[in-house]
Amino acid sequence: MPVVFETARYRRRKRRNARTSLLSLSATVLGVGILAIILGTLVFKGFTGLSLQVFTEMTPPPGSSGGLLNAIVGSLIMTGIGVAIGTPIGVLAGTYMAEYGRYNKLTMVVRFINDILLSAPSIVMGLFVYTIMVAPMGHFSGYAGAVALALLVIPIVVRTTEDMLLLVPGSLREAAAALGMPRSVVVQRIAYKAARAGIVTGVLLAVARVSGETAPLLFTALNNQFWSTNLNAPFSSLPVVIFQFALSPYADWQKLAWVGALIITGAVLALSIAARWLSSSRTSQ
Amino acid sequence: MNLMAAGATKLKEKISIRGLNFYYGDNLALKDINMPLYDRQVTAFIGPSGCGKSTLLRVLNRMYDLYPNQRAEGEVLLDGDDILSPKQDVNLLRSRIGMVFQKPTPFPMTIYDNIAFGVRLYERIAKSELDDRVEQCLRKAALWGEVADKLHASGLSLSGGQQQRLCIARTVAIRPDIILFDEPCSALDPISTARIEELIDELKQDYTIAIVTHNMQQAARVSQMTAFMYLGELVEFDETTKIFTSPKEKRTQDYITGRFG
Repeated sequence: MPVVFETARYRRRKRRNARTSLLSLSATVLGVGILAIILGTLVFKGFTGLSLQVFTEMTPPPGSSGGLLNAIVGSLIMTGIGVAIGTPIGVLAGTYMAEYGRYNKLTMVVRFINDILLSAPSIVMGLFVYTIMVAPMGHFSGYAGAVALALLVIPIVVRTTEDMLLLVPGSLREAAAALGMPRSVVVQRIAYKAARAGIVTGVLLAVARVSGETAPLLFTALNNQFWSTNLNAPFSSLPVVIFQFALSPYADWQKLAWVGALIITGAVLALSIAARWLSSSRTSQ
Repeated sequence: MNLMAAGATKLKEKISIRGLNFYYGDNLALKDINMPLYDRQVTAFIGPSGCGKSTLLRVLNRMYDLYPNQRAEGEVLLDGDDILSPKQDVNLLRSRIGMVFQKPTPFPMTIYDNIAFGVRLYERIAKSELDDRVEQCLRKAALWGEVADKLHASGLSLSGGQQQRLCIARTVAIRPDIILFDEPCSALDPISTARIEELIDELKQDYTIAIVTHNMQQAARVSQMTAFMYLGELVEFDETTKIFTSPKEKRTQDYITGRFG
């Protein structure tokens, strides 16, 4: 304790501490509260409409009953293709950046551009794919939608792959190299093995992110009222159906939109929990 | 020790380091090092932190190749061939010159695979033969008794001292000629340290060994030859008994008596 204890100064410091604590607390309450209201409304409005019918019937015309089957399947297919295209590209690029070109100029440039892509509005991806695919082909298509989603997946997977590989200690790589392992073996058998859970988590998060995307699909896959697995034609998806139905004046469509929103939110929540669980099981290993 | 002194001149040079300079970027970290590593002898490197002893060790298996802006000049002859030559295949070199690091670095796989992995890389080998090799190496590393019934548990589940012995077993498994130890005991408790030192003593019957250590008692206990390094220079290289009883250089004397460093 200082020789001359400044009581006034100390009291001021205490007051400031109390003020800041209060501010942080109210900010937390506000944030979590809003989230709770959103989720509560979603469950309240969506749960009453949830029935088997939703998963077995097609989107209905206004005034008649129906479900969301074509939209759910459409979303699954496009997300699946998008992730299937985006994951290998993202993992390979991330691998190059972390393992082969760690000290390169190219890596620095790619990392910078990737960060921009990561935060780019997703509608820009939609417009981009519209120009390179939809316009030349002359029609909207499931392919275009899947490509737009893939473009969203790539930067996420690049980033997590690179980050996770950078977390693998250099000493492990040196130890592997010291046994005479070529670079390729060190990467595939040691680095990937150590970073696997993290990379899988990244892919899951990418799935969660793109499965709720609406904007890039509006310009690429558009929508389809009917059952269709023809990827070369307009393709249905859950987010776009929610968008259209929610904006419509029909009560039964609005109700289905709430149900769809609940399903997507539930799916994303499940994916996030899976990702969390995976990454925590990695750290406790 | 007279016997030793008489024998020293007749020892075969397994590695000959000649005029070695080493750079981190523009920074000269090793200055004109000239010394041999004798066949089937333990050579200890001592000196204060930053004196270049670990750097020297990392030249011997070209570990520095993994990083940009690090380069070596001069000659390092292994059985007469210059390993610094660009023609030298570094992976083959590293399979002949094994290395054990300061921190135990088991791979994220089973105890068995930690050892089998390196072997499979260079040899086509039948399962039964591989099993034998794994057991033999674990015995050599004085670890067999502790892990015989859990070979398929993760290598990460072992204690620090066991992990370090696993790393030694893994290194021995690919049958190198030389083993480099970079402060192998600095993260271990005294009991584990004693076991590793015993192990090094046994290993020298089959391998040429170089060990970097901060612990001078350890250098005195395990080595036959000792090199004292300071500020990137090799100050003195001689038989361990001479270095620790009658060093020629004043700087060596000061260091081993604890007057600096």
